[in-house]
Amino acid sequence: MWQDTKRIFLDSAERLLQATARLLPSVLAMLLFFALSVVLAVALRGVVRRICERLALDRRLREWGVWPSGDARSSPTRLLTRISFWTVLVLGVFLGLSVLDAPAASAVSVQLLGYVPRLLVALAIFAVAVGISRVVERNVLIGAVNMGMQSARLLALGARWLVVLLGAAIALDHSGVAAHVVTVAFGILFGGIVFALSLAVGLGAKDFVARSLQRRFPDSGATESPAEQEDERGQIHHT
Amino acid sequence: MSVTSTELSASPAELPHGEILIALEAGDRSAVTASAASIRAHLAARFAGCTAKIVVATAGSETALVDADSPDAARTAAVPALAGDGIAGHLSAVSAVLREADRLGARAAVLLSAGAHDESVDWLGLLLQPILEEGFDYVCPTYRRERLDGMLNTAIVYPLTRALFGRRLRQPAGGEAALSLALARALLAQPAWRQDPAYAGSDAWLVASVLAGPFRACQAWLGKWPGGAGPAEDASHALARIVGPVFQEMERHADRWQRVEGSEPVPSVGQAGVIAGGPFAVDVGPLEDAFRLGLRELGELWGLVLPPGTLLTLRRAAATPAGKARVSDALWARIVYDFAVAHSTRVVERQQLLRSMTPLYLGWVRGFVEDVRELDGDGTEARVEALCGTFEREKPYAIARWRWPDSFNP
Repeated sequence: MWQDTKRIFLDSAERLLQATARLLPSVLAMLLFFALSVVLAVALRGVVRRICERLALDRRLREWGVWPSGDARSSPTRLLTRISFWTVLVLGVFLGLSVLDAPAASAVSVQLLGYVPRLLVALAIFAVAVGISRVVERNVLIGAVNMGMQSARLLALGARWLVVLLGAAIALDHSGVAAHVVTVAFGILFGGIVFALSLAVGLGAKDFVARSLQRRFPDSGATESPAEQEDERGQIHHT
Repeated sequence: MSVTSTELSASPAELPHGEILIALEAGDRSAVTASAASIRAHLAARFAGCTAKIVVATAGSETALVDADSPDAARTAAVPALAGDGIAGHLSAVSAVLREADRLGARAAVLLSAGAHDESVDWLGLLLQPILEEGFDYVCPTYRRERLDGMLNTAIVYPLTRALFGRRLRQPAGGEAALSLALARALLAQPAWRQDPAYAGSDAWLVASVLAGPFRACQAWLGKWPGGAGPAEDASHALARIVGPVFQEMERHADRWQRVEGSEPVPSVGQAGVIAGGPFAVDVGPLEDAFRLGLRELGELWGLVLPPGTLLTLRRAAATPAGKARVSDALWARIVYDFAVAHSTRVVERQQLLRSMTPLYLGWVRGFVEDVRELDGDGTEARVEALCGTFEREKPYAIARWRWPDSFNP
């Protein structure tokens, strides 16, 4: 009885040791990947910070209204350095797990490693779209206010969300998430918005558009009414 | 109409001689031909000892000067050159004109618009006499205009330039100039051509370089404004085009203008004044509406530029009953200085910043229109003089904001 127990125990211990010995190189390789990824992440963080500083990214993005000016605690540089650091670290972890002699962990890691680049590009596309949308919003707002449009804010918000929507659709399409549904849905939505805007301009602002065209192309054929000619005489000339 | 000019001394006995370079803005063919003929006739009558080279500044990848009588001028003159991008008017041809003046050793170089000038006035004589006979380096062409003409000049360019450099050039952004050879060579040697090529050659650059340097400047009143080419420009585009370079010059000469106090008149020739043709019928309602709309929608953006106190004052102005809202001169001067600081510190993208200033500008214009509606030429000039005085009195505020841009309570 004692002999049997001892044999079973020794066999188990031997198997465990063999398994450990078999796994040890891959564990060491995994740990090496972790260590390398930490080093790489720290180095990349420094490089990204330096590039951002060289490009004066914080100032430029605040200047364009992409990043809020009042928020002193956060900055685009800080965000980008964090993203680059954690991306490399997470990729290192997945890479480390993929070399592990554990089929389940390896399979998951390999699949994730294949998907992560597409996901990162999709996120970058979306982030750029959000940035552009804020620039567009400010430009449209200023332009609309200068044109005397009472619904300037609404127009600016509409323009902003149109760009965000376009960016989101491209990002989702790129990441492969329900690509067909996204394309069709976006097409319908975008077409609807353009149609609505056309109706709004056609029905509500035709006089305004006519006046704008008249100002831009003064010799386009239409003659000014006497009232307009009178107004021309009492006009303010800015230059 | 008033006569406020300080006349120059009488012509010396010796007749001027030498070559004069005259560069015309490219316009339509007939205007260029007529201008060239008119200039030659004037020169022959007024400066018989001088020979003139008349050229047309042409557009292209690089500005070129073409003889006004050559067939090339006929082809290029049809191009509405140089007016489209960045730098206003033909002054983007300044570099080419300066080089040509230097090459020829021309005693005077003149940049002119191709349009007809007031023939009731010896305009070319007034423009060249200070340089050829009096030893001036720079003559700023100035015109008699209607009370509501050149509002950007009245509201910003003239008071700001005067407060910054302490010299009273009435129309510093006129788009024309007459320069001596010494000044042309000094301008050519400026590092700005390399360091700031986008702005070098603009009206503001030229005027600021003259006023900040050791040059003798005067202004010549050339009669009635001949009128600008093309349709009237929209306020926001004009603001961005004209005021941007002025703010840029404010930054370039920051070490100089902070030491200037008050202002002094510059010598003038010709009959000065404003044309006043009785009360006018301008509806100020749209101006007031634009101001209120701007405050409502752009208040958040202005919060990055203007101190809270200024914003509060603006809100109080907008809260007054319809027909009563106005931006006072003191408030307007501070707003202009605040926007100049923001332009320098790049708090907001520069084109957005300048265009966002439009409702504030229209708010001030609204009050000005009301003020000068019943005034004659002298009264209008007195009103402009009051505004300039305010800009000069508020200059310590500009200096404080410039030195400590983050401090909103100087």
